[in-house]
Amino acid sequence: MSETILRADDVVKQFALRGRHRGTIKAVDGVSLEVKAGETLGIVGESGCGKSTFGQCLTRLVDVTSGTIQFEGTDISKLSRRQLRPVRSRLQMVFQDPYSSLNPRMRVGDIVAEPMRIHKTGDRRAIQARVADLLERVGFDASMAGRFPHEFSGGQRQRIGIARALALNPSVLVADEPVSALDVSVQAQVLNLLADLQDEFGLTYVFIAHDLGVVEHVSDRVAVMYLGEIVELADAEELYASPAHHYTAALLSAIPQLDGEAEPERERIVLTGDVPSPANKPSGCPFHPRCPAATEICRTEHPVLHEEGGRAVACHHPLPLRVLSSAERGA
Amino acid sequence: MLFVAKRLGSALLVMFAISIVVFLIFFATPGVDPAARLAGRGASPEVLSQVRHAFGFDQPLPVRYVLMMDHLFVTRDLTSYVNIGDKVVPQIMQAAPVTLSLVLGAAVIWIVLGLGGGILATRFRGSVVDPIIMVIGIAAVSLPAYWVGEVVNLITQDRLHDSVFSWVPPLGYVPFAQNPGQWALHLLFPWLTLALLYGGIYARVLRAELVTAMGEDYVRTGRAKGLSERRILWRHALRGSLSPVVSLFGLDLGSLIGGAALLTEVVFGLPGIGKLTWDSLQNLDLPVIMACVLYAAFFVVAANAIVDLLYAVIDPRVRRA
Amino acid sequence: MPAAPLLEVDDLRVAFRTRDGVVNAVNGLSFTVGRGEVLGIVGESGSGKSMAMYSMMGLLDNPNATVTGSARFEGTELIGMPLPKLNRLRGSSIAMIFQDPMTALTPVYTVGWQIVEQIRTHEKVSSQAAWKRAIALLDEVGIPDAARRAKSYPHEFSGGMRQRVMIAMSLACHPSLLIADEPTTALDVTTQRQILELIRDLQAKYGSSVIMITHDMGVISEIADRVIVMYAGRAVELGGKSQVVRSPRHPYTWGLLGAIPRPGQRGQRLATIPGLPPGPHDDQIGCPFRSRCRFAMDECSEMPQLRATGEAADHLDACWLSGDARKSLRGEIA
Ligand SMILES: Nc1ncnc2c1ncn2[C@@H]1O[C@H](COP(=O)(O)OP(=O)(O)OP(=O)(O)O)[C@@H](O)[C@H]1O
Ligand SMILES: Nc1ncnc2c1ncn2[C@@H]1O[C@H](COP(=O)(O)OP(=O)(O)OP(=O)(O)O)[C@@H](O)[C@H]1O
Ligand code: SF4
Ligand SMILES: [Mg+2]
Ligand SMILES: [Mg+2]
Repeated sequence: MSETILRADDVVKQFALRGRHRGTIKAVDGVSLEVKAGETLGIVGESGCGKSTFGQCLTRLVDVTSGTIQFEGTDISKLSRRQLRPVRSRLQMVFQDPYSSLNPRMRVGDIVAEPMRIHKTGDRRAIQARVADLLERVGFDASMAGRFPHEFSGGQRQRIGIARALALNPSVLVADEPVSALDVSVQAQVLNLLADLQDEFGLTYVFIAHDLGVVEHVSDRVAVMYLGEIVELADAEELYASPAHHYTAALLSAIPQLDGEAEPERERIVLTGDVPSPANKPSGCPFHPRCPAATEICRTEHPVLHEEGGRAVACHHPLPLRVLSSAERGA
Repeated sequence: MLFVAKRLGSALLVMFAISIVVFLIFFATPGVDPAARLAGRGASPEVLSQVRHAFGFDQPLPVRYVLMMDHLFVTRDLTSYVNIGDKVVPQIMQAAPVTLSLVLGAAVIWIVLGLGGGILATRFRGSVVDPIIMVIGIAAVSLPAYWVGEVVNLITQDRLHDSVFSWVPPLGYVPFAQNPGQWALHLLFPWLTLALLYGGIYARVLRAELVTAMGEDYVRTGRAKGLSERRILWRHALRGSLSPVVSLFGLDLGSLIGGAALLTEVVFGLPGIGKLTWDSLQNLDLPVIMACVLYAAFFVVAANAIVDLLYAVIDPRVRRA
Repeated sequence: MPAAPLLEVDDLRVAFRTRDGVVNAVNGLSFTVGRGEVLGIVGESGSGKSMAMYSMMGLLDNPNATVTGSARFEGTELIGMPLPKLNRLRGSSIAMIFQDPMTALTPVYTVGWQIVEQIRTHEKVSSQAAWKRAIALLDEVGIPDAARRAKSYPHEFSGGMRQRVMIAMSLACHPSLLIADEPTTALDVTTQRQILELIRDLQAKYGSSVIMITHDMGVISEIADRVIVMYAGRAVELGGKSQVVRSPRHPYTWGLLGAIPRPGQRGQRLATIPGLPPGPHDDQIGCPFRSRCRFAMDECSEMPQLRATGEAADHLDACWLSGDARKSLRGEIA
């Protein structure tokens, strides 16, 4: 296996809640994982479970409350903003929120060129040519460079954000729902583009998304988060074919199916019970109030992420693994 | 609450730091005898040695600092040696109410003018009202305060004093405690003059902010909710747009109270802090200058602390638990 | 379907004047929404889906935008309706959920306050009653600990949670038409399912109609009755959900369906539609898809109209290809 390029150790990110109901929210609660150079690691999970926050911790766009993050072997979790600057060009993030991350008063050409100007990657002509190239790569005509963000649709803005993140040739790209605002044909273009860049430059991706079909398509490994923790981490094929955690199973069973297409042989698991709040995490296994298989031990004891044969799951009663046939493996 | 305490604490710390810096500049500049500077030009040797003793110039720096602060804030007996015998602190205490009256009164007027103008201009964007207000605003900004003051004086004190403006009292200041009516009357034209300039700036800043805010997505949400344009403007757009106005206000208020209203004070014959600072600079009256600087710093720092607190009230995103 | 549709849109056009010419964002869009019906809209990103909805809701205040055509809601014209009258409809009879949940809420008020505001704008209820309802709504859309989180500010919520707040707000006054612009894009699939159920409930309880814009063909399959496929400001295909998803007729729809990543193709390149969508200032004659269509012919330089080309009279498309040849042609790209 190739070497680890990004590594999180027991990362915790806490937010404070104010007012009458003061308290804290552990948006990320002790996440450890390794990202290998050249791979794509997918992260899925319920909305609000801390995926974006974790992504921002990984790229150090926020300070972590505790834990360490190692990028190319150096701990970046405590670096100051200035010290982070050289790291930034190699560790980029595409934001979930395509509009508010673009300065409305700048033309999109300048938005894409800005990181190159800051890091002085070339003269004006070179930067201009690169901007045109980047815009074309994400599916725009280079003549669009003179327009302002508000003149673009939601999906178009998202692509501008991707072009900006690619401008500095990063080695790791943390992409927070980079294609969720795109129509499927443009999505296919962008996914192909990301795949090409990976082939060409060995880019590493951390790919946060809700569309499980897309995640399956792009990821080598997939991490499933629930209430700030990783509850399952496995090879994409294996995870989709045979989820071990009950939450993963519920998630997979909720994928909307195309009309007329054969339903995979999965039973619909409807989650009951209240969605717990990260401010008030259940004892024991965070998933136990909604889990169909919960027993006494799940209510009292916190299951640890246990790794076995490349698959990690945090559950007292994991689902039995289905052994993949070689045909499925090849697919 | 913790936030308030923290902010006030840091304001105190800044004040302390400023007092040290000021002290060092005035009394620890190498190669200069601070006693000679304190005593003023051409002081006699007796006076010099008296000063040396009173301020402990034969002692180490920290002691000197404490002694100086003691003279300033505790015994308040720092004296000016240029106008022999004048106590410094009472001078400031006398000038401060004048400046405070002038600036605070004007601030009320310019806030009303500025906010009103900015809101009206935004509300009637696209009609003639907007450009009219903006042109008035820029005219007000570009007229120098002392010139407006002189013109006002020319009209009210001279040309039309016998007819329309016969009710205008002569230049000068009447304390509020002595006669509130006369106080207001004496300050009316200084207020208007000062407020004109700042009202123009505020109207323009607020309009720019409001117009940006009215293009935000949440304004669209408000419209889709069926809210009236007025409610969207007042309840949704205005609140966020106030932040820059508030920080501007803090800076302006701090510096004006600290003495930046000098020109207006001079033109209208008001014996305020600006005038005091000016006079002491002319005479190189070091104790007075130093006290004025500290006084000004106090208001700038205090105004900024208040602005930060207001900020947190207006915008929940800057609040910290 | 009852005789009079709830919403009738006829030849809707939205044009923006820009520094370098006119951008036609919506270009003659016509459709109807029946009572209790869910109309799905899919299409290229930038094809004018959102702009069409904004223009109907009177939300385009850009001075450079011109809206023409007609959109009648329960028989009354929405385009050009005076503001006070429109404000009585917006938020009560017609509600809208916006695409970008991150910026759609006012940052300086709590989410509960904003829902209460919505309720009290249209109904005379006490503040306590409105708060109670707001909390119940937040609970219904799956915000955990709703009573407490109602007092939170938008920036303290994740993207998906903000979208749920928006959805709660739009459902507050039981609208008879809900326009949902990619309402579940920011949500995980279990929450998405929950929201779709919620929208279905609204429909069942109040007979509401829904226009659902989405990029997810799966969502369309789950919830829509009929589907419009848009390309470059036009409808290129319109039909029943199963008709469009199972036997699409327009080459653009073929490309769209072919680009969906499917299980078992991991790591392979996805099929895309070659070329770029027509620039905003391209000529308005001819089929807008012809520069990217591998079946383009001479006829295609004339604008094809939306019409039935196959057996089903309610399955329309705008393409010059012969109706009978479609199946085999589609086979060619697959
Ligand atoms: N600045 C903040 N203050 C308080 N709480 C916050 C803040 N930012 C995020 N949170 C909370 O942290 C949790 C995780 O948020 P995050 O944005 O990481 O979720 P997410 O997994 O990306 O969700 P989504 O898929 O909906 O985008 C949420 O409960 C959210 O309310
Ligand atoms: N103010 C404007 N000036 C010029 N062109 C604009 C303006 N606003 C939008 N447009 C253009 O109008 C077209 C339609 O935009 P719209 O937001 O309706 O797309 P959409 O179909 O909703 O796309 P998405 O699925 O990505 O949200 C886009 O091509 C966009 O560039
Ligand atoms: S009309 Fe012509 S160009 Fe357009 S989709 Fe049909 S075949 Fe292709
Ligand atoms: Mg997120
Ligand atoms: Mg849109």
